[in-house]
Amino acid sequence: MNKDILIIGGGIAGMQSSLDLADMGINVHLVEKLPSIGGKMAQLDKTFPTNDCAI
Amino acid sequence: MLDVGRHPNISLLAYSEVEKVEGQEGDFTVTVRRKKRYVDETKCTGCGACAEKCPTSVPDAFDAGLGTRRAIYSLFAQGIPSTHTIDPDYCRQLNGKKCGICQKTCQADAIDFDQEDKILELNVAGIIIAAGYDVFDPSQIPEYRYRELPNVLTALEFERLLSASGPTDGHLDRPSDRAVEAEIEALEKKAGKSKRMLEKFEKKFDESSEQFYKKYQKGEYQDDDDRKKWADKYVAYSAIMEPLEKLKKKAENFTTAKRLAFIQCVGSRDFRFYPFCSGYCCMHSIKEAIIAHEHGPETTSSIFGMDIRAIGKGFEEYKIRGGNNSNITYIRGRVGEISQGPNDNPVVIYEDTHERQVKSQEFDMVILATACAPTSGIIELSQILGVELDKYNFIKTSPFSPVDTNVPGIFACGCVGAPMDVPESVAQASSAAERAAEIAIQLQPEKEKIVA
Repeated sequence: MNKDILIIGGGIAGMQSSLDLADMGINVHLVEKLPSIGGKMAQLDKTFPTNDCAI
Repeated sequence: MLDVGRHPNISLLAYSEVEKVEGQEGDFTVTVRRKKRYVDETKCTGCGACAEKCPTSVPDAFDAGLGTRRAIYSLFAQGIPSTHTIDPDYCRQLNGKKCGICQKTCQADAIDFDQEDKILELNVAGIIIAAGYDVFDPSQIPEYRYRELPNVLTALEFERLLSASGPTDGHLDRPSDRAVEAEIEALEKKAGKSKRMLEKFEKKFDESSEQFYKKYQKGEYQDDDDRKKWADKYVAYSAIMEPLEKLKKKAENFTTAKRLAFIQCVGSRDFRFYPFCSGYCCMHSIKEAIIAHEHGPETTSSIFGMDIRAIGKGFEEYKIRGGNNSNITYIRGRVGEISQGPNDNPVVIYEDTHERQVKSQEFDMVILATACAPTSGIIELSQILGVELDKYNFIKTSPFSPVDTNVPGIFACGCVGAPMDVPESVAQASSAAERAAEIAIQLQPEKEKIVA
């Protein structure tokens, strides 16, 4: 049986899930509606409360 | 982002949508439509030469419409994948006009105007929904006059202004001022063209246009067709120069925004729209005020809110630090109305509940801390997947299994389930990954699961 996982959405949540699963050795298909991943967080300049760069 | 693009276990299907899902936990068959980009993914190097040459400018959705991009574009500079995409709504070639400049420019020969959508069938054991949220559209609130007053922005629009890679390179230029500058630029272009035309006549008749026109008005050269044309051109030139000079004078006094107002709970905690608290907006506004102060130390910010909800590790300290070091004033009170003041300055009318007084104050820019609204395609997606939504159209989950949907094998994380900030989204994402991994490594979670 195929053990791949599908993830819908390539924002911060989708990316984090993908990386966690991929690091466990599981194959992931990450589907994103827009031309590039990143989601809303990529639009942010900095993140609170540490003022780290969002990208 | 880069890690996702590079990871050997991740196949990245960007610009794609899920169309159909069949099967059950452990064995789903998923149909994915890979939308046509009109660019060959295997050939495009993401160099951007095509976008430099593309003649069509389009409002940039990534910059919240404040900047422009071309009809062939990458979503943003660091986008993964960096493959460019042609926007079929704006591309000249795809709308029946003659163009194809990008095709001639592309050295990799990646442009393919005949590309078709591809349908992909995947077999997966589990699905995680991380479809995110949409920013609440504040134009639904008439008293805040968003879109009507140029210097009333949403928090995400303001974020793009603050960003060094944004449309203003990080300067807090006001949209009303930017509109005037754009007008000046357009008029200057027109004036330049008009002036070149006059110069041709001046050279031909060896006389300045001004001198000639004075004579012409006195009645000289009335039979000369060529000179008549010259006079017409001079009139047209003057008609451009007059408003141009006026606008230029106005633009001399433009400065970046120094007095900022942040209005909390726009669309959330509001029974006309969403009664829930979106959670992240208080901190978001504080962050934006602190960054704005970093960009210009003379910047002052007023945050209008019912209460400031700084709930999270280090959040309250961040709020206090903002008040002490970044010229932030927290005002307890809900804003009733925003009106137009002089120089396109928005005037905020509010009740100060500490002093029990209705007050008004003028600002350079007003930022609306907009609510987290469910993402626009969620109803369609929930029907495809068969998952239940709650009454606001977020995905229904329970407090004891916050990432499980009603369908076994389908999980949800991030703002698609409920409003949350970045750290919480990351935590939920890891949690959903773990739940999906249980299936993938063929554990039997249902038998061993202990419900609190």
